[in-house]
Amino acid sequence: MSDVTAKDIEALLQTFEASDWSEMKLKIDGLDLFISKSPGARPSPAAGEMAASAPVAPASAPAPVVAAGSAALKHGAAPDHWIAVRAPNLGTFYRSPKPGAPPYVELGQRIEPMTELCLIEVMKLFTSVFAGVTGVVRQVMVEDSELVEFDQVLFLIEPDA
Amino acid sequence: MRLRRVLVANRGEIALRVVRAAKALGLETVLAASAADRESMAAREADRVVTLGPAPARSSYLNAELVVHAAKATGCDALHPGYGFLSERASLARLCEQHGVTFIGPSSESIEAVGDKLAARRLAKAAGVAMTPGSAKLESAAAAVAFASQIGFPVVTKASAGGGGRGMVVARDAKALAEGFERASVEAKEAFGDGTLYLERYVERARHIEVQALGLGDGRVLHFGERDCSMQRRYQKMIEEAPASAMPNATRARLHEAAVDLLGSIRYRNAGTVEFLYDVDRDVFYFMEVNARIQVEHPVSEMISGVDLVRLQLEVAGGVAPRVEQRDIFPHGHAIEARILAEDPRRGFLPSPGRITRWRPPHGEGVRLDTAIEEGTMVSPYYDSMIAKLIVHAHDRPGAVARLRDALDAFEVAGVSTNIGLLRAVASHADFLANKLDTRWLETVFLPHYGQQEG
Repeated sequence: MSDVTAKDIEALLQTFEASDWSEMKLKIDGLDLFISKSPGARPSPAAGEMAASAPVAPASAPAPVVAAGSAALKHGAAPDHWIAVRAPNLGTFYRSPKPGAPPYVELGQRIEPMTELCLIEVMKLFTSVFAGVTGVVRQVMVEDSELVEFDQVLFLIEPDA
Repeated sequence: MRLRRVLVANRGEIALRVVRAAKALGLETVLAASAADRESMAAREADRVVTLGPAPARSSYLNAELVVHAAKATGCDALHPGYGFLSERASLARLCEQHGVTFIGPSSESIEAVGDKLAARRLAKAAGVAMTPGSAKLESAAAAVAFASQIGFPVVTKASAGGGGRGMVVARDAKALAEGFERASVEAKEAFGDGTLYLERYVERARHIEVQALGLGDGRVLHFGERDCSMQRRYQKMIEEAPASAMPNATRARLHEAAVDLLGSIRYRNAGTVEFLYDVDRDVFYFMEVNARIQVEHPVSEMISGVDLVRLQLEVAGGVAPRVEQRDIFPHGHAIEARILAEDPRRGFLPSPGRITRWRPPHGEGVRLDTAIEEGTMVSPYYDSMIAKLIVHAHDRPGAVARLRDALDAFEVAGVSTNIGLLRAVASHADFLANKLDTRWLETVFLPHYGQQEG
C-alpha cells in the first residue's frame, strides 16, 4: 500500500469534481485510481489491474443527492470474484469498536467468516457485521461514521481460491 | 415555516402525495424507502432517497428506530409518517420528540390518549360525547332483561373477556334475550374461560360516519365536515363520500361539535378523525374511535372544502397558522372516493400482485386520481393491495355518482386483477343510487348476488 491517505483521495476527488474533466486515471506506487463522472464508465485495460486499495466513491456531498455514481466505481473497480459485504439495514457505519480504537480490520488483513468487520448503529443500538467468508480485506467502501443504506457495499473481500 | 427538510416515512400514493405537498411549500424531501420501493414515483420525485432495509415492512417501514435514524442522519428536521405502518405508534412520535425531529402529527401523549379504546371512551365521556348505551357486567338473564327494558331492544350480548363474535347474541325481545343469554354465556366460557357478559344496544342499520379535523395544538380545532364510509368489507372501507347526505342537518351540526369538543379537550394537534356509528333509524350517533393520522379517504374532504389537508399538516407542524378559519370552510358539492385494489373479488379478494402492463386511468373534469402507479410498475406482494384512489367531485350526489360510473367505465388496468368491475357494479346498484346503505350492505346485500351474476 502506498502512503496515500484517505484524506488525500478525498482532496483529489474534490479537485476532480470541481474540474471539467470527465475521467481521471492515476498511478503512483501501489495505487491505481480510476474515477469518472459517468456512472457506466469502466477503467481502460491499461488501468484494469488496479490495486484498488482505497475507497473510491465520490466525496459524499452534504447536499441531499444520492451518491449513485459510486456504484459504477464500486463494482467496476473490483475483480468479479471478490465478494461484497453489504449493510443489513440503514445505519451509521463504524470501523472500530469505539472512537480512537483501532479498526476491527485493516486492508490486506486475513479474515474468517466470524471475523467482525464493523458496527452499524441505529439509534445507539450497535449491530456487528461479520465477514461470512474466508479471505483478505481488499477494499473498505465507506468512511467511518458515514450513513450507509440497506444493501450498500461496505467491504470487498478477496476470497480464498 | 420552521421546517426545512422532511423525511417521508411511507410508500405508495401517500408518500408521493406528501413529497409533492412538501416541495410545493419549498421544503426539501428525503424518502425513506424499502428496497422494494427504491424505483417508486415518490423516490424519483423526492430530493433524496435512503434505503431503510429489505422489502418486508417489519425490517423497513415498521422499524421506528431505523426511520428516526434516517431522519437525523440525513439532516431532516421533520418526519411525516403517512398512514398505516408507524403512523399511530406513540413510540415513533416520542422518539421524534426526544431527538428534536418534528413529528408531523399529534403529540405522543395525544396518540396514547386516543389510541387505547377504553382511554378514548373515557375522554369521549368527559367531553360529553355519546357512546353506545351499554351495561356493566351482568349476573343473570333476568338482570339482562331488566337492563334491556331500560335501554330498549334490540340488544346484543358481548363477552367481557374477549371479542370476535364469541358470546354475541342479538336479541329483539325479552324472550329471545332470556333464551340467548345462557347460550352466549356458555359460548363465552368455552372461548375465553369466562362466561361474564354485558349488554349493548344493537344498531340494526348503522352508518360509519367520521369527522375530519385539524387541531392547532392550543385547544382550537378546525373541522372539514364529515365523511360517510359505510361501504365496507370486513371493516375495510371501499367507497367513501362527503358529505354524509343521509344525515339531517341538525344531527350533522351536533356531530361536528362532538368531534371538535373531543379533540379540543386534549389540545389535539394536526390532522385527526373522529369516527362515529350513526343509528339511521333513531337518528343518533355514538362515538367509536379517534384516528390520529391523515387517513386514506382524506381527499373527499379536500374536494368539498377546497383545502389541501397534507399542506395544512405541514404548516401546523411548522408553526404556521392556517390561513383558513372555520367560517370559511363549508362544503361545495359532493365527492366520492373508490379504492382501487389489486385484488380478485372472484377469488375471495385474493391479493393479485404483479406488473402493471396497461394503465389507462380516467381523466376529465371533477376526476382526481391519487396513485403512484404507472404502466410497468410492479405491484409488490409485501404491502397493502391498494393501487389507486379514484376521487370524483360534482355539484350533488347524483352528479358525483354519474361521474364515478363514467370514470370507472373508462379505467383500464391489465397485468393484475382489480376490483374495478365490482366497483362498477356497486356504482350502478339501485341501493347505491338511492343512498340506502349501511355498514353491512356490501357483505349482506351486494356480495352474495355479485358472485352469482358474474357466474
